[in-house]
Amino acid sequence: MTNAVLHQQNDSEIESFPISYTSEILQLFIKSLQRQRDPQILDVGPVCEENIMFFAQQLKRFYVCDMFLRLDRELRSDRDPAEVWVHMDYTPSTFDGIQLWDFCDHLDDTQVRRLAELCHSMLKPEGLLMITAFEEQTHALRLNAFVTQINYQVSFRHQPHLKLPWHCRHNRALMSILPGFSHIKSLQYRNGLREFLFKKNK
Amino acid sequence: MLKRGKKDENDGPSDTSMTMSERIAPSAPKPSTGQGKTVIGENITIEGSIRGEENLVIEGALKGNIEMEKHNFTVGPRGRVDGEIRAQNVSISGELKGNITALGKVEITKDADFYGEIKAKSISVEDGAYFKGMIELDREPHRKSSEGAKPASPSGFGSVKGPTSKPVDAKKET
Repeated sequence: MTNAVLHQQNDSEIESFPISYTSEILQLFIKSLQRQRDPQILDVGPVCEENIMFFAQQLKRFYVCDMFLRLDRELRSDRDPAEVWVHMDYTPSTFDGIQLWDFCDHLDDTQVRRLAELCHSMLKPEGLLMITAFEEQTHALRLNAFVTQINYQVSFRHQPHLKLPWHCRHNRALMSILPGFSHIKSLQYRNGLREFLFKKNK
Repeated sequence: MLKRGKKDENDGPSDTSMTMSERIAPSAPKPSTGQGKTVIGENITIEGSIRGEENLVIEGALKGNIEMEKHNFTVGPRGRVDGEIRAQNVSISGELKGNITALGKVEITKDADFYGEIKAKSISVEDGAYFKGMIELDREPHRKSSEGAKPASPSGFGSVKGPTSKPVDAKKET
């Protein structure tokens, strides 16, 4: 079960989040993919120039499908939010890795299960899934892009155009709604951020 | 209609050869403003391929391919393009569905909706742009990755059971 919180509109009420950190899980994710021949990776956004440059330098080519913006548009429209999944229409077993960032934090349990099903389908056997999640509401209230730079340094940039709910999940709850994946490694940072790396079961 | 800057209207389309059927909206198109470029106004719809020797800006709708390897192609904020693009530099502020091959830079602004593949030397993307597609940047030969961090130990992969708590280098403790 999750507690959904809408992102506040008034930025002045939100504590600034001037935190950057070195992502060991991202490093593990990239290094593992680089061992494969011509790895295919999907980033679900938010679209961010630095990430495009980072992934394009690390891997020959990579795919972007900004699901944050798609979900935001679905929630602002009269359409069924489930319509958002039609945009993840990739062929089964396409990707070696999928970078979800904190997208699960903005989905309810039903939506996360659907996302997990899609990721399971889109990933090749033993494909990798990277997820981040915030532990504290203070940080999650302000939706940020995870901006990746050299040395796997990750910082945050506010995305004021996005207004999405936030669902708090503890580690066990998150892992329980990802059937079909094996937990590889996870870390919790002092800034309250948690990172997880999963592998699709054969 | 098409309006071209800098060159005489009587020159004919010799340097901007087009195969297209144009459907002109009831209201008159706005005149082009730039020099050395052709602007397709927002009330113009074109179906067909365009090959040109000067810069092109689409403010209207285009369904067809663009080929102008030595010149720049722009989709304006209200522009809608469905086709393959091959140009020197490409800038998108409207909607583009199709693959881009740019010898130079691709620029995607915050108002853009882009669906397709990009092959370019460099790319800039503003926060807020919608992007669904694939990116492949030209990489200089023998270029080493700029990251210099110590790689994760392969033996550590998969060796940790269950979540661990490990503070790293967050600059602010919460």
